[in-house]
Amino acid sequence: MTNSTPKRLRPLSPNIQIYRPQLTSVLSIANRISGIVLSLYAILLVVWLVAAAAGPHAYSTAQVIIRSWAGQILLFGCTFSFFLHLCGSIRHLIWDAGYGFELRTIYASGWTVVLVSSALTLLSWIISMVLAG
Amino acid sequence: MIIRSPDQVPRVTALKRFPMPRNLGVSPESRIEQGRTWPAPVRAGRVKAFEIYRYDPDLEGNPRIDTFEVDLDACGPMVLDALIWIKNTVDSTLTFRRSCREGICGSCAMNIDGTNWLACTRFIADLATPATIYPLANMRIIKDLIPDLTHVFAQYALIQPWLRSKTPPPERERLQSPEERSRLDDHYECILCFCCTSGCPSHWWNGDRFLGPAVLLQANRWLVDSRDEATGERLDELEDPFRLYRCHTILNCTRTCPKGLNPGKSIANIKRMLLERRT
Amino acid sequence: MDNEGMRSPLGRALGLGSARTGVEQWWRERVSALALVPLTVWFAASLMVHTGSDYATFIAWLRTPIVSILMVLLLAGIFYHTALGLQVVIEDYFHSGLKTLALLGMRFGCCGLAVAGILATLRIAFGR
Repeated sequence: MTNSTPKRLRPLSPNIQIYRPQLTSVLSIANRISGIVLSLYAILLVVWLVAAAAGPHAYSTAQVIIRSWAGQILLFGCTFSFFLHLCGSIRHLIWDAGYGFELRTIYASGWTVVLVSSALTLLSWIISMVLAG
Repeated sequence: MIIRSPDQVPRVTALKRFPMPRNLGVSPESRIEQGRTWPAPVRAGRVKAFEIYRYDPDLEGNPRIDTFEVDLDACGPMVLDALIWIKNTVDSTLTFRRSCREGICGSCAMNIDGTNWLACTRFIADLATPATIYPLANMRIIKDLIPDLTHVFAQYALIQPWLRSKTPPPERERLQSPEERSRLDDHYECILCFCCTSGCPSHWWNGDRFLGPAVLLQANRWLVDSRDEATGERLDELEDPFRLYRCHTILNCTRTCPKGLNPGKSIANIKRMLLERRT
Repeated sequence: MDNEGMRSPLGRALGLGSARTGVEQWWRERVSALALVPLTVWFAASLMVHTGSDYATFIAWLRTPIVSILMVLLLAGIFYHTALGLQVVIEDYFHSGLKTLALLGMRFGCCGLAVAGILATLRIAFGR
Protein backbone atom coordinates (compact mmCIF):
# COMPACT_ATOMS: atom_id res chain seq x y z
CA MET A 1 0.00 0.00 0.00
CA THR A 2 1.74 3.15 -1.16
CA ASN A 3 1.32 6.22 0.98
CA SER A 4 2.08 9.01 -1.44
CA THR A 5 -0.22 11.47 0.29
CA PRO A 6 0.36 11.91 4.06
CA LYS A 7 -2.56 11.00 6.28
CA ARG A 8 -4.61 14.08 7.10
CA LEU A 9 -4.74 15.04 10.76
CA ARG A 10 -8.27 14.72 12.12
CA PRO A 11 -9.77 17.99 13.36
CA LEU A 12 -10.15 18.53 17.11
CA SER A 13 -13.69 19.29 18.24
CA PRO A 14 -14.04 22.67 19.95
CA ASN A 15 -13.77 22.65 23.73
CA ILE A 16 -13.68 25.95 25.61
CA GLN A 17 -14.96 27.77 22.52
CA ILE A 18 -18.40 26.12 22.80
CA TYR A 19 -18.68 24.51 26.25
CA ARG A 20 -21.28 26.13 28.47
CA PRO A 21 -19.90 28.07 31.47
CA GLN A 22 -21.35 26.40 34.56
CA LEU A 23 -21.06 27.28 38.23
CA THR A 24 -18.60 24.39 38.66
CA SER A 25 -16.11 25.48 36.01
CA VAL A 26 -16.57 29.24 36.53
CA LEU A 27 -15.94 29.14 40.28
CA SER A 28 -12.98 26.83 39.76
CA ILE A 29 -11.26 29.16 37.30
CA ALA A 30 -12.19 32.14 39.54
CA ASN A 31 -10.42 30.43 42.45
CA ARG A 32 -7.35 29.89 40.27
CA ILE A 33 -7.36 33.44 38.87
CA SER A 34 -7.81 34.95 42.35
CA GLY A 35 -4.91 32.81 43.57
CA ILE A 36 -2.63 34.03 40.78
CA VAL A 37 -3.73 37.64 41.38
CA LEU A 38 -3.00 37.23 45.10
CA SER A 39 0.49 35.94 44.34
CA LEU A 40 1.11 39.17 42.41
CA TYR A 41 -0.25 41.20 45.33
CA ALA A 42 2.14 39.26 47.60
CA ILE A 43 4.98 41.01 45.76
CA LEU A 44 3.38 44.34 46.64
CA LEU A 45 3.00 43.19 50.24
CA VAL A 46 6.74 42.56 50.49
CA VAL A 47 7.48 45.92 48.83
CA TRP A 48 5.23 47.62 51.36
CA LEU A 49 6.89 45.82 54.31
CA VAL A 50 10.34 46.75 53.02
CA ALA A 51 9.16 50.35 52.77
CA ALA A 52 7.93 50.18 56.38
CA ALA A 53 11.29 48.79 57.50
CA ALA A 54 13.21 51.42 55.53
CA GLY A 55 11.83 54.29 57.55
CA PRO A 56 9.02 56.84 57.83
CA HIS A 57 9.87 58.60 54.55
CA ALA A 58 9.67 55.45 52.43
CA TYR A 59 6.55 54.36 54.30
CA SER A 60 4.71 57.63 53.73
CA THR A 61 5.53 57.43 50.00
CA ALA A 62 3.97 53.98 49.97
CA GLN A 63 0.92 55.24 51.87
CA VAL A 64 0.47 58.12 49.40
CA ILE A 65 0.44 55.64 46.53
CA ILE A 66 -2.04 53.39 48.35
CA ARG A 67 -4.31 56.34 49.14
CA SER A 68 -4.48 57.48 45.51
CA TRP A 69 -7.53 56.39 43.55
CA ALA A 70 -5.44 53.91 41.54
CA GLY A 71 -4.11 52.44 44.76
CA GLN A 72 -7.60 52.20 46.21
CA ILE A 73 -8.82 50.33 43.13
CA LEU A 74 -5.86 47.95 43.46
CA LEU A 75 -6.63 47.50 47.14
CA PHE A 76 -10.27 46.74 46.38
CA GLY A 77 -9.17 44.17 43.82
CA CYS A 78 -6.86 42.69 46.42
CA THR A 79 -9.63 42.46 49.03
CA PHE A 80 -12.08 40.86 46.64
CA SER A 81 -9.52 38.36 45.32
CA PHE A 82 -8.54 37.52 48.87
CA PHE A 83 -12.06 36.82 50.11
CA LEU A 84 -13.00 34.94 46.93
CA HIS A 85 -9.89 32.74 47.21
CA LEU A 86 -10.44 32.28 50.96
CA CYS A 87 -14.05 31.12 50.61
CA GLY A 88 -13.28 29.05 47.52
CA SER A 89 -10.35 27.39 49.24
CA ILE A 90 -12.43 26.52 52.31
CA ARG A 91 -14.92 24.90 49.92
CA HIS A 92 -12.01 22.96 48.40
CA LEU A 93 -10.78 21.87 51.82
CA ILE A 94 -14.26 20.57 52.65
CA TRP A 95 -14.22 18.56 49.40
CA ASP A 96 -10.76 17.23 50.21
CA ALA A 97 -12.14 16.01 53.55
CA GLY A 98 -14.73 14.09 51.52
CA TYR A 99 -17.90 16.12 52.14
CA GLY A 100 -20.24 18.07 49.91
CA PHE A 101 -20.05 16.17 46.62
CA GLU A 102 -23.78 15.79 45.92
CA LEU A 103 -24.73 18.03 42.99
CA ARG A 104 -27.25 19.96 45.04
CA THR A 105 -24.62 20.65 47.72
CA ILE A 106 -22.04 21.63 45.10
CA TYR A 107 -24.40 24.28 43.76
CA ALA A 108 -25.50 25.48 47.21
CA SER A 109 -21.90 25.82 48.43
CA GLY A 110 -20.94 27.50 45.17
CA TRP A 111 -23.55 30.25 45.47
CA THR A 112 -22.60 30.58 49.15
CA VAL A 113 -19.00 31.29 48.16
CA VAL A 114 -20.11 33.99 45.71
CA LEU A 115 -22.42 35.66 48.23
CA VAL A 116 -20.15 35.40 51.27
CA SER A 117 -17.03 36.65 49.49
CA SER A 118 -18.91 39.64 48.04
CA ALA A 119 -20.45 40.40 51.42
CA LEU A 120 -17.11 40.12 53.23
CA THR A 121 -15.43 42.43 50.71
CA LEU A 122 -18.08 45.12 51.15
CA LEU A 123 -18.15 44.64 54.91
CA SER A 124 -14.40 44.96 55.29
CA TRP A 125 -14.34 48.16 53.25
CA ILE A 126 -17.24 49.67 55.21
CA ILE A 127 -15.60 48.76 58.53
CA SER A 128 -12.24 50.21 57.42
CA MET A 129 -13.83 53.45 56.32
CA VAL A 130 -15.79 53.74 59.56
CA LEU A 131 -12.70 53.03 61.68
CA ALA A 132 -10.57 55.45 59.71
CA GLY A 133 -13.20 58.17 60.01
CA MET B 1 -30.49 28.53 41.05
CA ILE B 2 -29.65 25.24 42.75
CA ILE B 3 -29.22 22.31 40.40
CA ARG B 4 -30.45 19.14 42.14
CA SER B 5 -29.71 16.53 39.50
CA PRO B 6 -27.71 16.52 36.25
CA ASP B 7 -30.76 16.05 34.01
CA GLN B 8 -32.19 19.31 35.33
CA VAL B 9 -31.82 21.87 32.55
CA PRO B 10 -31.41 25.38 33.98
CA ARG B 11 -34.31 27.68 33.16
CA VAL B 12 -32.05 30.69 32.83
CA THR B 13 -28.61 30.63 31.29
CA ALA B 14 -26.52 33.74 31.79
CA LEU B 15 -23.85 32.74 29.31
CA LYS B 16 -24.19 30.07 26.63
CA ARG B 17 -20.46 30.06 25.92
CA PHE B 18 -17.44 32.03 27.11
CA PRO B 19 -17.34 35.22 25.03
CA MET B 20 -14.38 34.57 22.77
CA PRO B 21 -13.76 34.29 19.04
CA ARG B 22 -15.13 30.97 17.82
CA ASN B 23 -11.80 29.84 16.39
CA LEU B 24 -9.54 31.18 19.14
CA GLY B 25 -6.38 29.15 19.57
CA VAL B 26 -7.60 26.53 17.14
CA SER B 27 -5.13 24.72 14.87
CA PRO B 28 -5.67 25.17 11.12
CA GLU B 29 -7.23 21.76 10.47
CA SER B 30 -9.80 22.29 13.23
CA ARG B 31 -11.04 25.76 12.27
CA ILE B 32 -14.81 25.72 11.84
CA GLU B 33 -16.32 27.40 8.81
CA GLN B 34 -19.85 28.36 7.89
CA GLY B 35 -21.84 25.61 6.19
CA ARG B 36 -25.18 25.57 4.43
CA THR B 37 -28.74 25.86 5.65
CA TRP B 38 -31.29 23.13 4.97
CA PRO B 39 -34.82 24.60 5.11
CA ALA B 40 -37.82 22.75 6.57
CA PRO B 41 -40.27 20.93 4.27
CA VAL B 42 -43.06 23.15 2.95
CA ARG B 43 -45.96 21.87 5.07
CA ALA B 44 -44.00 21.67 8.32
CA GLY B 45 -45.84 22.60 11.48
CA ARG B 46 -43.61 23.45 14.42
CA VAL B 47 -40.10 24.09 13.16
CA LYS B 48 -36.86 24.36 15.16
CA ALA B 49 -33.40 25.18 13.87
CA PHE B 50 -30.49 22.86 14.73
CA GLU B 51 -26.91 24.00 14.13
CA ILE B 52 -24.86 20.85 13.69
CA TYR B 53 -21.08 20.35 13.38
CA ARG B 54 -20.18 18.61 10.12
CA TYR B 55 -16.88 17.19 8.90
CA ASP B 56 -16.24 14.88 5.95
CA PRO B 57 -12.77 13.27 5.84
CA ASP B 58 -13.30 12.25 2.20
CA LEU B 59 -13.65 15.83 1.06
CA GLU B 60 -11.15 18.64 1.19
CA GLY B 61 -12.11 21.35 3.60
CA ASN B 62 -12.48 22.15 7.24
CA PRO B 63 -15.31 21.31 9.61
CA ARG B 64 -18.38 23.50 9.18
CA ILE B 65 -21.72 24.25 10.85
CA ASP B 66 -24.85 23.24 8.93
CA THR B 67 -28.25 24.57 10.00
CA PHE B 68 -31.17 22.17 9.70
CA GLU B 69 -34.79 23.24 10.20
CA VAL B 70 -36.49 20.28 11.80
CA ASP B 71 -40.23 19.56 11.64
CA LEU B 72 -40.90 18.74 15.29
CA ASP B 73 -44.31 17.18 14.52
CA ALA B 74 -42.66 14.61 12.29
CA CYS B 75 -40.03 13.32 14.71
CA GLY B 76 -39.91 11.97 18.26
CA PRO B 77 -39.28 14.08 21.36
CA MET B 78 -35.55 13.41 21.84
CA VAL B 79 -32.56 14.99 20.17
CA LEU B 80 -31.60 11.60 18.72
CA ASP B 81 -35.04 11.46 17.06
CA ALA B 82 -34.33 14.82 15.41
CA LEU B 83 -30.95 13.59 14.17
CA ILE B 84 -32.53 10.43 12.74
CA TRP B 85 -35.28 12.51 11.07
CA ILE B 86 -32.62 14.72 9.47
CA LYS B 87 -30.71 11.67 8.26
CA ASN B 88 -33.85 10.01 6.88
CA THR B 89 -35.51 12.98 5.18
CA VAL B 90 -33.01 15.79 4.66
CA ASP B 91 -29.33 14.80 4.50
CA SER B 92 -28.46 11.13 4.62
CA THR B 93 -24.73 11.90 5.00
CA LEU B 94 -25.23 13.11 8.60
CA THR B 95 -23.21 10.60 10.61
CA PHE B 96 -23.50 9.81 14.31
CA ARG B 97 -23.20 6.84 16.65
CA ARG B 98 -26.37 5.42 18.20
CA SER B 99 -27.69 2.07 19.38
CA CYS B 100 -30.04 1.53 22.31
CA ARG B 101 -31.99 4.84 22.15
CA GLU B 102 -32.62 4.54 25.89
CA GLY B 103 -29.52 5.95 27.60
CA ILE B 104 -27.71 2.73 28.44
CA CYS B 105 -25.19 2.11 25.65
CA GLY B 106 -23.42 5.46 25.66
CA SER B 107 -23.01 5.64 21.87
CA CYS B 108 -24.84 8.92 21.22
CA ALA B 109 -22.85 11.06 23.67
CA MET B 110 -22.37 14.54 22.20
CA ASN B 111 -22.26 18.20 23.15
CA ILE B 112 -25.83 19.54 23.07
CA ASP B 113 -26.36 23.26 23.73
CA GLY B 114 -22.94 23.51 25.32
CA THR B 115 -23.04 20.54 27.69
CA ASN B 116 -22.17 16.90 27.10
CA TRP B 117 -25.15 14.55 27.31
CA LEU B 118 -26.71 11.56 25.56
CA ALA B 119 -28.78 12.58 22.53
CA CYS B 120 -31.37 9.90 23.26
CA THR B 121 -32.20 11.18 26.75
CA ARG B 122 -32.21 14.93 26.05
CA PHE B 123 -35.64 16.40 25.25
CA ILE B 124 -35.80 18.75 22.25
CA ALA B 125 -38.17 20.93 24.30
CA ASP B 126 -35.32 21.69 26.73
CA LEU B 127 -33.08 23.13 24.03
CA ALA B 128 -32.48 26.72 23.03
CA THR B 129 -33.37 28.02 19.57
CA PRO B 130 -31.33 27.47 17.51
CA ALA B 131 -30.08 24.31 19.20
CA THR B 132 -26.34 23.67 18.84
CA ILE B 133 -25.03 20.15 18.41
CA TYR B 134 -21.30 19.53 18.50
CA PRO B 135 -19.36 16.32 18.99
CA LEU B 136 -17.87 15.55 22.41
CA ALA B 137 -15.45 18.37 23.28
CA ASN B 138 -11.72 18.09 22.63
CA MET B 139 -11.79 14.85 20.68
CA ARG B 140 -10.27 14.03 17.28
CA ILE B 141 -13.25 13.75 14.92
CA ILE B 142 -13.52 10.84 12.50
CA LYS B 143 -16.63 12.20 10.75
CA ASP B 144 -19.47 14.60 11.66
CA LEU B 145 -20.44 13.82 15.28
CA ILE B 146 -18.21 10.74 15.71
CA PRO B 147 -15.19 11.20 18.05
CA ASP B 148 -12.09 9.02 18.03
CA LEU B 149 -12.19 7.33 21.43
CA THR B 150 -8.98 5.31 20.96
CA HIS B 151 -6.93 7.31 23.45
CA VAL B 152 -9.53 7.39 26.25
CA PHE B 153 -10.10 3.65 25.88
CA ALA B 154 -6.32 3.14 26.02
CA GLN B 155 -6.31 5.12 29.28
CA TYR B 156 -9.06 2.80 30.52
CA ALA B 157 -6.98 -0.27 29.67
CA LEU B 158 -4.05 1.31 31.51
CA ILE B 159 -5.77 0.97 34.91
CA GLN B 160 -6.20 -2.78 34.32
CA PRO B 161 -9.98 -2.90 34.90
CA TRP B 162 -10.16 -6.55 35.94
CA LEU B 163 -9.87 -8.49 39.16
CA ARG B 164 -6.25 -8.84 40.23
CA SER B 165 -5.81 -11.44 42.93
CA LYS B 166 -2.99 -13.36 44.57
CA THR B 167 -5.09 -15.82 46.58
CA PRO B 168 -6.02 -18.85 44.49
CA PRO B 169 -9.64 -18.69 43.32
CA PRO B 170 -12.14 -20.33 45.71
CA GLU B 171 -14.25 -23.38 44.91
CA ARG B 172 -17.30 -21.22 44.18
CA GLU B 173 -17.79 -17.46 44.30
CA ARG B 174 -15.49 -14.95 45.96
CA LEU B 175 -17.67 -13.87 48.87
CA GLN B 176 -18.67 -10.26 49.48
CA SER B 177 -20.96 -8.75 52.10
CA PRO B 178 -23.88 -6.50 51.10
CA GLU B 179 -22.03 -3.49 52.54
CA GLU B 180 -18.93 -4.30 50.49
CA ARG B 181 -21.10 -4.74 47.40
CA SER B 182 -22.76 -1.38 48.02
CA ARG B 183 -19.36 0.30 47.59
CA LEU B 184 -19.56 -0.60 43.92
CA ASP B 185 -22.83 1.34 43.53
CA ASP B 186 -22.46 4.58 41.57
CA HIS B 187 -19.46 2.97 39.85
CA TYR B 188 -20.62 -0.10 37.96
CA GLU B 189 -23.43 1.85 36.25
CA CYS B 190 -20.90 3.80 34.17
CA ILE B 191 -21.60 3.30 30.46
CA LEU B 192 -18.22 4.73 29.35
CA CYS B 193 -19.89 7.42 27.27
CA PHE B 194 -16.99 9.82 28.16
CA CYS B 195 -19.27 12.84 28.61
CA CYS B 196 -17.40 13.58 31.85
CA THR B 197 -13.88 13.19 30.45
CA SER B 198 -14.55 15.35 27.42
CA GLY B 199 -16.11 18.00 29.66
CA CYS B 200 -13.13 18.22 32.00
CA PRO B 201 -10.97 21.31 31.33
CA SER B 202 -7.97 19.58 32.92
CA HIS B 203 -8.33 16.75 30.40
CA TRP B 204 -8.58 19.35 27.62
CA TRP B 205 -5.20 20.81 28.54
CA ASN B 206 -3.43 17.62 29.72
CA GLY B 207 -5.46 14.75 28.29
CA ASP B 208 -2.36 12.99 26.99
CA ARG B 209 -1.24 12.24 30.56
CA PHE B 210 -4.23 12.97 32.82
CA LEU B 211 -6.51 9.92 32.98
CA GLY B 212 -9.78 11.84 33.28
CA PRO B 213 -12.89 11.31 35.41
CA ALA B 214 -14.34 8.26 33.62
CA VAL B 215 -11.15 6.23 33.94
CA LEU B 216 -10.52 7.41 37.51
CA LEU B 217 -14.09 6.49 38.48
CA GLN B 218 -13.42 2.97 37.22
CA ALA B 219 -10.03 2.97 38.98
CA ASN B 220 -11.87 3.70 42.22
CA ARG B 221 -14.35 0.93 41.39
CA TRP B 222 -11.49 -1.57 41.46
CA LEU B 223 -9.82 0.04 44.48
CA VAL B 224 -12.94 -0.31 46.66
CA ASP B 225 -13.81 -3.81 45.43
CA SER B 226 -13.17 -6.05 48.45
CA ARG B 227 -12.34 -9.03 46.21
CA ASP B 228 -9.44 -7.22 44.51
CA GLU B 229 -6.00 -7.85 46.03
CA ALA B 230 -3.82 -5.41 44.08
CA THR B 231 -4.96 -2.24 45.88
CA GLY B 232 -1.41 -1.19 46.74
CA GLU B 233 -0.15 -1.69 43.20
CA ARG B 234 -3.17 0.15 41.78
CA LEU B 235 -2.52 3.09 44.08
CA ASP B 236 1.18 3.09 43.08
CA GLU B 237 0.21 3.26 39.42
CA LEU B 238 -2.24 6.12 40.03
CA GLU B 239 -0.02 8.23 42.29
CA ASP B 240 1.39 10.54 39.65
CA PRO B 241 1.29 14.35 39.31
CA PHE B 242 -0.42 13.93 35.96
CA ARG B 243 -2.37 10.66 35.97
CA LEU B 244 -4.36 11.54 39.08
CA TYR B 245 -3.29 14.92 40.41
CA ARG B 246 -4.30 17.00 37.41
CA CYS B 247 -7.75 16.73 38.97
CA HIS B 248 -8.41 20.11 40.59
CA THR B 249 -11.97 19.30 41.68
CA ILE B 250 -13.47 21.41 38.91
CA LEU B 251 -16.53 19.09 39.09
CA ASN B 252 -17.72 19.58 35.52
CA CYS B 253 -17.79 15.77 35.46
CA THR B 254 -20.39 15.35 38.21
CA ARG B 255 -22.40 18.18 36.67
CA THR B 256 -22.57 16.54 33.25
CA CYS B 257 -22.87 12.79 33.91
CA PRO B 258 -26.02 11.60 32.09
CA LYS B 259 -26.27 8.59 34.42
CA GLY B 260 -26.12 10.71 37.58
CA LEU B 261 -22.78 9.27 38.74
CA ASN B 262 -20.23 11.21 40.78
CA PRO B 263 -16.68 10.94 39.42
CA GLY B 264 -15.54 13.90 41.55
CA LYS B 265 -16.46 12.07 44.73
CA SER B 266 -14.70 8.89 43.60
CA ILE B 267 -11.52 10.77 42.73
CA ALA B 268 -11.60 12.40 46.18
CA ASN B 269 -11.76 8.90 47.61
CA ILE B 270 -8.64 7.87 45.69
CA LYS B 271 -6.81 10.93 47.03
CA ARG B 272 -7.98 10.06 50.53
CA MET B 273 -6.64 6.50 50.19
CA LEU B 274 -3.29 7.78 48.96
CA LEU B 275 -3.08 10.07 51.98
CA GLU B 276 -4.20 7.39 54.40
CA ARG B 277 -1.55 4.90 53.38
CA ARG B 278 1.28 7.30 54.16
CA THR B 279 -0.10 8.54 57.49
CA MET C 1 -3.07 12.92 21.93
CA ASP C 2 -1.74 12.73 18.35
CA ASN C 3 0.42 9.82 17.30
CA GLU C 4 3.51 11.14 15.58
CA GLY C 5 5.18 7.72 15.68
CA MET C 6 3.91 4.18 15.61
CA ARG C 7 3.56 3.49 19.33
CA SER C 8 0.36 1.65 20.23
CA PRO C 9 -2.47 3.63 21.87
CA LEU C 10 -1.85 1.82 25.18
CA GLY C 11 1.86 2.56 24.91
CA ARG C 12 1.16 6.22 24.36
CA ALA C 13 -1.26 6.35 27.29
CA LEU C 14 1.30 4.58 29.53
CA GLY C 15 3.91 7.20 28.63
CA LEU C 16 6.91 7.00 30.93
CA GLY C 17 4.97 5.18 33.66
CA SER C 18 3.72 6.39 36.99
CA ALA C 19 5.97 8.75 38.96
CA ARG C 20 4.78 7.09 42.21
CA THR C 21 4.83 10.45 43.90
CA GLY C 22 2.41 13.33 44.22
CA VAL C 23 0.58 12.96 47.49
CA GLU C 24 3.31 14.91 49.34
CA GLN C 25 2.82 18.04 47.28
CA TRP C 26 -0.96 17.72 47.43
CA TRP C 27 -0.92 17.37 51.20
CA ARG C 28 1.51 20.23 51.76
CA GLU C 29 -0.64 22.57 49.68
CA ARG C 30 -3.63 21.71 51.88
CA VAL C 31 -1.70 22.01 55.17
CA SER C 32 -0.31 25.42 54.17
CA ALA C 33 -3.82 26.49 53.13
CA LEU C 34 -5.22 25.44 56.50
CA ALA C 35 -2.47 27.36 58.31
CA LEU C 36 -3.04 30.42 56.14
CA VAL C 37 -6.79 30.67 56.88
CA PRO C 38 -6.38 32.06 60.41
CA LEU C 39 -3.14 33.90 59.59
CA THR C 40 -4.55 35.85 56.66
CA VAL C 41 -7.83 36.59 58.42
CA TRP C 42 -5.85 37.96 61.35
CA PHE C 43 -3.71 40.06 59.00
CA ALA C 44 -6.71 41.43 57.10
CA ALA C 45 -8.47 42.29 60.35
CA SER C 46 -5.33 44.00 61.70
CA LEU C 47 -5.00 46.08 58.54
CA MET C 48 -8.64 47.13 58.83
CA VAL C 49 -8.14 48.17 62.45
CA HIS C 50 -4.98 50.10 61.57
CA THR C 51 -6.44 52.06 58.61
CA GLY C 52 -5.50 55.66 59.11
CA SER C 53 -3.03 55.12 61.96
CA ASP C 54 0.31 56.90 61.63
CA TYR C 55 3.77 55.42 61.13
CA ALA C 56 4.80 55.34 64.80
CA THR C 57 1.66 53.50 65.94
CA PHE C 58 1.94 51.05 63.12
CA ILE C 59 5.61 50.26 63.75
CA ALA C 60 4.99 49.93 67.47
CA TRP C 61 2.31 47.38 66.71
CA LEU C 62 4.54 45.49 64.25
CA ARG C 63 7.35 45.40 66.78
CA THR C 64 5.44 43.49 69.44
CA PRO C 65 6.71 39.87 69.71
CA ILE C 66 3.40 38.18 68.93
CA VAL C 67 2.84 40.27 65.80
CA SER C 68 6.42 39.73 64.61
CA ILE C 69 6.06 35.98 64.98
CA LEU C 70 2.71 35.94 63.18
CA MET C 71 4.04 38.12 60.37
CA VAL C 72 7.01 35.82 59.80
CA LEU C 73 4.69 32.80 59.81
CA LEU C 74 2.31 34.59 57.45
CA LEU C 75 5.05 35.42 54.95
CA ALA C 76 6.52 31.92 55.08
CA GLY C 77 3.06 30.40 54.69
CA ILE C 78 2.03 32.70 51.85
CA PHE C 79 5.11 32.04 49.75
CA TYR C 80 5.16 28.31 50.47
CA HIS C 81 1.51 27.95 49.46
CA THR C 82 2.04 30.25 46.47
CA ALA C 83 5.01 28.21 45.26
CA LEU C 84 3.02 24.97 45.45
CA GLY C 85 -0.07 26.47 43.83
CA LEU C 86 1.81 28.21 41.01
CA GLN C 87 3.74 25.01 40.33
CA VAL C 88 0.45 23.26 39.62
CA VAL C 89 -0.69 26.14 37.40
CA ILE C 90 2.57 26.18 35.40
CA GLU C 91 2.48 22.39 34.98
CA ASP C 92 -1.09 22.71 33.68
CA TYR C 93 -0.49 25.32 31.01
CA PHE C 94 3.16 25.03 30.02
CA HIS C 95 4.72 22.02 28.41
CA SER C 96 8.25 21.35 27.14
CA GLY C 97 11.30 23.50 27.91
CA LEU C 98 9.47 26.72 28.84
CA LYS C 99 7.86 24.84 31.74
CA THR C 100 11.20 24.16 33.46
CA LEU C 101 12.31 27.77 33.09
CA ALA C 102 9.00 29.05 34.41
CA LEU C 103 9.07 26.65 37.37
CA LEU C 104 12.61 27.64 38.31
CA GLY C 105 11.92 31.35 37.93
CA MET C 106 8.76 31.13 40.00
CA ARG C 107 10.44 29.13 42.76
CA PHE C 108 13.45 31.46 43.00
CA GLY C 109 11.12 34.45 42.99
CA CYS C 110 9.05 33.07 45.86
CA CYS C 111 12.16 32.27 47.90
CA GLY C 112 13.63 35.72 47.29
CA LEU C 113 10.42 37.52 48.16
CA ALA C 114 9.91 35.43 51.30
CA VAL C 115 13.44 36.20 52.50
CA ALA C 116 13.00 39.90 51.72
CA GLY C 117 9.71 40.08 53.57
CA ILE C 118 10.94 38.15 56.60
CA LEU C 119 14.11 40.26 56.82
CA ALA C 120 12.04 43.45 56.67
CA THR C 121 9.83 42.15 59.49
CA LEU C 122 12.85 41.19 61.59
CA ARG C 123 14.45 44.55 60.89
CA ILE C 124 11.37 46.28 62.26
CA ALA C 125 11.22 43.89 65.23
CA PHE C 126 14.87 44.28 66.25
CA GLY C 127 15.40 47.84 65.03
CA ARG C 128 15.88 50.87 67.26
